[in-house]
Amino acid sequence: MIPKANGIWVILLSFLVAYLLAIVPVPEWAMHYRPQWVMLVLIYWIMALPYRVGIGSAWMAGIFTDILEGSMLGIQAFTFAILAYITLSLHQRVRLFSSWQQSGIILALVGLVMTATYWIKVITGETAQDGMLFLMGALSSAFVWPWLFLLLRQLRRGFDVH
Amino acid sequence: MSLEYRLVAFLALAMSLMYTDNRYEYLDRVRFSVAYLTTPVYWLADIPTRVSFWIDDVFVSQRDLIEENTQLRQQLLFAQRELQLLAGLASENSRLRELQEASQAVQGRVMTAEIINVSNDPGSRRVLINRGAHNGVLEGQAMLDAHGLMGQVEEVLPFTSWVLLITDSRHGTPVQVNRNGERTIARGSRGDAPGLELEFVPDTADISVGDLLVSSGLGQRFPKDYPVAEVTSIVHDPGQPFAQIRARPLAQMDRTRHVMLVIPDNEAIVGVPMMFDATTDVVEDTPVTNVPEGASPAVEELQPESQPGSQTEAAPALNPAPGSAAQDAAGGIE
Repeated sequence: MIPKANGIWVILLSFLVAYLLAIVPVPEWAMHYRPQWVMLVLIYWIMALPYRVGIGSAWMAGIFTDILEGSMLGIQAFTFAILAYITLSLHQRVRLFSSWQQSGIILALVGLVMTATYWIKVITGETAQDGMLFLMGALSSAFVWPWLFLLLRQLRRGFDVH
Repeated sequence: MSLEYRLVAFLALAMSLMYTDNRYEYLDRVRFSVAYLTTPVYWLADIPTRVSFWIDDVFVSQRDLIEENTQLRQQLLFAQRELQLLAGLASENSRLRELQEASQAVQGRVMTAEIINVSNDPGSRRVLINRGAHNGVLEGQAMLDAHGLMGQVEEVLPFTSWVLLITDSRHGTPVQVNRNGERTIARGSRGDAPGLELEFVPDTADISVGDLLVSSGLGQRFPKDYPVAEVTSIVHDPGQPFAQIRARPLAQMDRTRHVMLVIPDNEAIVGVPMMFDATTDVVEDTPVTNVPEGASPAVEELQPESQPGSQTEAAPALNPAPGSAAQDAAGGIE
């Protein structure tokens, strides 16, 4: 039984902030270390409210990322849908993990999705092939996860989002 | 299970979108309209930068302002002196071009813009500027900063545009060496250091470190003769078929915020095709070997000034171009 929606604007606002953090200009050297904010927020909401945020929402979030970055439409929609699927099938187990175990899962998930995105972008000629340094983004994502998790949980409980 | 079906459905949708976006142009319109939604996000993301600029503007001492003002006055004076020289050179150049019957391709009008964001994909070098279709930006317009060529407009959105920088490894800029006119293509270098590499340059080519590369205008995208880069290193590897030449772009790619977009003049757009029309018209009047024919009147006009009445009969055959006529004149002075 799905309860009536409440506080959806909190979810939307968290995504807006994630998009902002994703595009705020950073120095060249820090480019590779930027955490994947949108993916992290998406993973959090899927794990917390799997009946509200699912593959469809992930797909929409991906499309918006594509449009925002001006890359080919559908690339991140594709990979975000895969991300949502894996998260949905794991969420009951991951919820019980300790925070560093969750970070490990995040590392694997974000790394996988970033690699898939990178492959598609290289195949379609959207980006140039230059090393695997971009995976640093997965590492920093795993690093910020525990804090982001606490923050979003506070928000979810405070505004009674469900 | 329904989850798998939904996954497959959404993946299929995403793939068809990618295919359509890659092959056809229907989605450009969708992208254009949805950009009305994304522009506010970029506007928000740009606030910190604008605030810091504003703080720089407001909290500045009067002494600093006076100092800056005198400095700018001095620079203006120098720039105006150079401009005066340039005016003379420009008129001389246009006279020479008229003699040569070449098309006039000096483009002056520009539109200013500001860089408001940088692509967050480390593999591509693109920037977002705060001018779009509503300001009359066109796809393919060249972007400059105060020091040189920066890139070209890749995608025009309502109020913003994506510009592909010349240091992107997928971008090639047709350039020529300013010293001797050697033509080549400067491609953005792969790897982390933003720079340019000259492609397919034979080992024997006359290019040396410190040479200025200017746009050759051959791709018909960039205006001619804008400074692009400076050659920084040349490696002749016997095992490689071509010399490995690296160049440093003159534009301040990652420091500048204020840029200019070159507005293609109407003459400039029609300029190149008109030249072809002219040649086809000429073909009707004169023989195909029109190079000596076209140049000979120029030579005749020049000769009374330099060498009155010497070798007049041999001149049209020997001097196919005004350049060699000038050489002749120099020889006469010696």
